[in-house]
Amino acid sequence: MAEVVLSALTKSFGATKALSDVSMTIPDGSFVVLLGPTGAGKSTTLRLIAGLDKPDSGDVRIAGSSVVGDMPAQRDVAMVFQQYSLYPHMTVRDNLAFPLRSPILNRPEDEIRKRVAEVASVLRIAHKLDNKATQLSGGEMQRVSIGRALVRAPRIYLMDEPLSSLDAALRAELRIELKRIHQDLGATFLYVTHDQVEAMTMATHVGVLDHGRLVQFGTPREIYENPVSTYVATRLGQPRINFLPADLFGPARAGATQIGLRPEHILQGEGPEARVIRVEHLGDQTRLHLHLAGNDLITLSDPHTTLKPGDLLAIRPEDPLWFDASGNRLP
Amino acid sequence: MSESPIDSLARATPPALAGRIRGLSDRSIAWLFVSPTILLLLAINIFPLIWTIRLSFTNFAANKPNAEVKWVGLRNYERILTDPDIWQTMQATAHFLFWSLFFQVVIGFTLAWLINRKFRGNDFVTTLIVLPMMLSPAVVGNFWTFLYQPQIGLFNYAVEFLTGIPASSFSMLGSVALAPWAIVIVDTWMWTPFVMLICLAGLRSIPDYIYEAAEVDRASKWRQFWTMTIPMVLPFLMLAVLFRGIENFKMFDLVVQLTGGGPGDTTLLTSIELKREAFEKWRTGYSSAYAIILFVTVFGLASIYVKALNKVKER
Repeated sequence: MAEVVLSALTKSFGATKALSDVSMTIPDGSFVVLLGPTGAGKSTTLRLIAGLDKPDSGDVRIAGSSVVGDMPAQRDVAMVFQQYSLYPHMTVRDNLAFPLRSPILNRPEDEIRKRVAEVASVLRIAHKLDNKATQLSGGEMQRVSIGRALVRAPRIYLMDEPLSSLDAALRAELRIELKRIHQDLGATFLYVTHDQVEAMTMATHVGVLDHGRLVQFGTPREIYENPVSTYVATRLGQPRINFLPADLFGPARAGATQIGLRPEHILQGEGPEARVIRVEHLGDQTRLHLHLAGNDLITLSDPHTTLKPGDLLAIRPEDPLWFDASGNRLP
Repeated sequence: MSESPIDSLARATPPALAGRIRGLSDRSIAWLFVSPTILLLLAINIFPLIWTIRLSFTNFAANKPNAEVKWVGLRNYERILTDPDIWQTMQATAHFLFWSLFFQVVIGFTLAWLINRKFRGNDFVTTLIVLPMMLSPAVVGNFWTFLYQPQIGLFNYAVEFLTGIPASSFSMLGSVALAPWAIVIVDTWMWTPFVMLICLAGLRSIPDYIYEAAEVDRASKWRQFWTMTIPMVLPFLMLAVLFRGIENFKMFDLVVQLTGGGPGDTTLLTSIELKREAFEKWRTGYSSAYAIILFVTVFGLASIYVKALNKVKER
């Protein structure tokens, strides 16, 4: 396990700039989640650390020494690819054992067998060990691909949306399992996801990327409560944060053009009246779609609410987030 | 409700035809479509085979159609299988088959592997390499006889240039020791591109991410080659060997053009010998038996091979 430091990483593919000037410290034993839409540079960051692509400029340091000149094998990292990347001509067992059979490690075969069996049972694929990799379902392939990383104890685990094609129950289970591995082994993770629950529950740090730039890096709470821009604010939160004209509820803060309201910023029962457009009962929560002076917003309500479409509901902001015209947060 | 287009089409079908077709089941209609092909296949493929089997038990000679045809039982087979000359042609064929396949696989795979690394002019080089395959075997045989000419042949001069052995001191096509290798060289020159193309298809079917994953899993280039590249190209390579093997077992034109089976009988391949027996000596019954033996051999070998191929593909 080791600390990974990225400094001023820049990478272009032809005319498109995939990463520009990204600096980030992934502390030893941390679980860093990268957020951002497709094309923000998340996968590129992982590939640069793994050594599958070379940066145009900048440095990657693992455990204090620069690895930019090193081959992937020399960097001792494990990676879970988005497209599984299983070895199609091998059985699940051979796929899992492949990293351990590396001549660099020189592990005895019975030790490899034991390790493979352990990982397979954690990932619930023990019964599939003798199947060919191509005879698995998408979810099983994804688990084998995670397993191939977990059999090793690399300096950092790089994971590119590893849980995306699993069903909800298995995803929740493996989320806890990965978190357990992180805590028990003190392993360092860099993890790409779109899933906000994964980001909030697993991460010790979250990095938000926008068009190849790292726009904010901090704990999940910081990212959620103190986003530096409207872009970062929309990365986390379900339902999404509402953006409304700054002067909708009275005088705006100087320079502000937008007001950002998460459900917890909306106090119900006081203030101007909004019309209820739709009520969504999701079980554990109920979403209210409201209409106020030409603006739509979504907030939460008590799961057993009796509100129905057409009703009027008074709302008032409380400690909202203020943003200027270009989307930057105002203090 | 208005009539659908299909209904109106059906109504437009002439009543007489409709009446004739109406009585047929789907199965009979299927047979109706397939039967011309089946008849043709029976006439030009199956019937000659059965007829050949029948002839192989007789002393029939096609140049004496009116002579009395005697039933000789298994005597033709017995004579062929105990004839040392026949075994000599079998040996010549086996030598040709083995070494031409060996060189074509080794060189073809190496070329494919080199071409597959992306470089400038890659497509142009591929086209160049593939050229020999597009020529007619008769043409290739003809100009290689010139290349092999001891006095004016380019091949002999190249050998002299590279090894110092005087060009006029050896004759590739005239020497008993060299002629079997001469035909292997020409066949390899002509058909290596075919093996290369199939291997290239195999190599291109391996996605880059497999190598990336192996790279991160700390496999060296050498280990990647043996654990990823070779197993994933193997089914393609085996298919190429199957095609080339069957083709070379039947090899005729190229070798007739080059050596005509000589010197002595050193390059007398089975198909050339068969043609001589059948259409020069006119021993139709005898050569029918010979043809059946060859057919069973190829068919047997190919079946075993295809089984092995399927096993590799399943792995």
